[in-house]
Amino acid sequence: MGVVVKKVELSWLDRTYVWPVMKGMGITLRHFFRQLFTPTAKRYTIQYPDMKKEMPEGYRGLHELKRFEDGAIKCVACFMCQEACPARCISIEAEEFSELNITQGFEEKRPAKFSIDMLRCIYCGMCEEACPKDAIWLRKDYEVAAYDRLAMQYGKWDLMNTYAKADGKENISGDPTPSVPRRTIAM
Amino acid sequence: MDKLASLLHTSPATAWMVAKLVIVFGGVFSLAALWTWVERRGAAMIQDRIGPNRAALFGKIKIIGLAQPLADGIKFFFKEDLVPHDANKALFWLAPFLALVPALMGFAVIPFGRSFVSGGHEYHLALLDPGNGMGLLYPLAIGGMAVYGVLVAAWSSNNKWSILGGMRSSATMVSYEIGMSLAVVTIFMTAGGYDPSEVIKAQGHLPWAWNVVRQPLGFIVFFTCMFAETNRLPFDFAEGESEIVAGFNVEYGSMKFSLLALSEYCHLMTASALIATLYFGGWQVPFVQNPSVLLSVASFLVKMLFFAWVFVWIRWTLPRFRYDQLMHLGWKAMLPMSMVNLVFHAWRMSQGH
Repeated sequence: MGVVVKKVELSWLDRTYVWPVMKGMGITLRHFFRQLFTPTAKRYTIQYPDMKKEMPEGYRGLHELKRFEDGAIKCVACFMCQEACPARCISIEAEEFSELNITQGFEEKRPAKFSIDMLRCIYCGMCEEACPKDAIWLRKDYEVAAYDRLAMQYGKWDLMNTYAKADGKENISGDPTPSVPRRTIAM
Repeated sequence: MDKLASLLHTSPATAWMVAKLVIVFGGVFSLAALWTWVERRGAAMIQDRIGPNRAALFGKIKIIGLAQPLADGIKFFFKEDLVPHDANKALFWLAPFLALVPALMGFAVIPFGRSFVSGGHEYHLALLDPGNGMGLLYPLAIGGMAVYGVLVAAWSSNNKWSILGGMRSSATMVSYEIGMSLAVVTIFMTAGGYDPSEVIKAQGHLPWAWNVVRQPLGFIVFFTCMFAETNRLPFDFAEGESEIVAGFNVEYGSMKFSLLALSEYCHLMTASALIATLYFGGWQVPFVQNPSVLLSVASFLVKMLFFAWVFVWIRWTLPRFRYDQLMHLGWKAMLPMSMVNLVFHAWRMSQGH
């Protein structure tokens, strides 16, 4: 079934062309003055290096490896994220966590190396979904760029410090000696 | 002025002439350069954007991007100056000047302020003194020359798209010149002379006695034709991104392109000065009988810059015409309208008004 298109009958005023032009010029002038008197902060344009867009909730940006209060890594090197990663950009090497054994309530594994190839990462958030310990988060930083390829290989300490400045924490570069049981394992 | 003249070992008349030359052509040229910025910034504001605001002097002084024309100029100046292999080299070099010079020259007869007497000399604020015998026929004639710049640029670059643009633009100019001339003839008729100072004097200082009120039809015709004459949207047929690449200036780069672009803005300035002179009382200040010289110059500048802004404003309001619509408008609307305007005013004059 076709649609009957109704032709718009122009009034004589519209057919003069001059009056519609003036109406249109009124519209553009309104936009001009509205934009002219809007302060820069309230304009649609975000002037990027000076102003930054606040990313919405649920945005998947640069990763962070979470840590406990005392700075120890939350990750238990279970390889779930490495398995879940569709881009295969995560590579983990596990190590023995400490001399203290499991009966004392310590988790026994942690990553010796945890690296993400940011050039391959597609920011899908599957690692975040897969993590049983909530140890890897994709947060709101989107300025992931570097001058060379090597700098895009984020190691364990890079990943733990990605949001240190934003959160007001100190950068860490070593595992603190575990002193207290930080999580009991349900037996 | 006399002191300056004796300092330079010339007569006061020559010194005054040189001063006027520098002020007028320098002024129009720098206004044209400034208008490239105004156009981009105005377009941005109309479209709710921000526009060029980052160009800074010495990387520090960011006066709302006003350094942009300067930066553009420097960039154009240092770009490689390519001439296409099969182009007619001489004409290719000549074309930007053919475009720029008429655009600037049209300004010469337009009085931009009240004449004044100082030290026994009468000084006229126009490059050519009134009574030179050419009057307003001169900018019209020179405006007709402007088509050569576009056409020569298009033809000499030996590119089929550019020549299409050039031919379209020359056809536009020829069609619209007739309607425009008839509108101007009506003004000559009612003013009783074609000298710009006479036209301005005939309009007086009261806004309702200006030609825009007396001949609104003529104003609409002249105004529309000025858009076609300056090759600007909605009639910019010399160019056409979607149809003929960039139009008549495809093959141009570096400073030659810059000159072509600048000539369009110079033309725009001349056109707005003409509109202000013919229809808005030139340097007359509304409701002021005998304005001071500075006030009259300011009044003229305000009018001229307002119309230059209207050119920008219209450009970002209206969509382009199709070519046949343009010809339709030129021959079937503008020409009859200006004829009606002419005959009506001739009839009114014969009735003794």
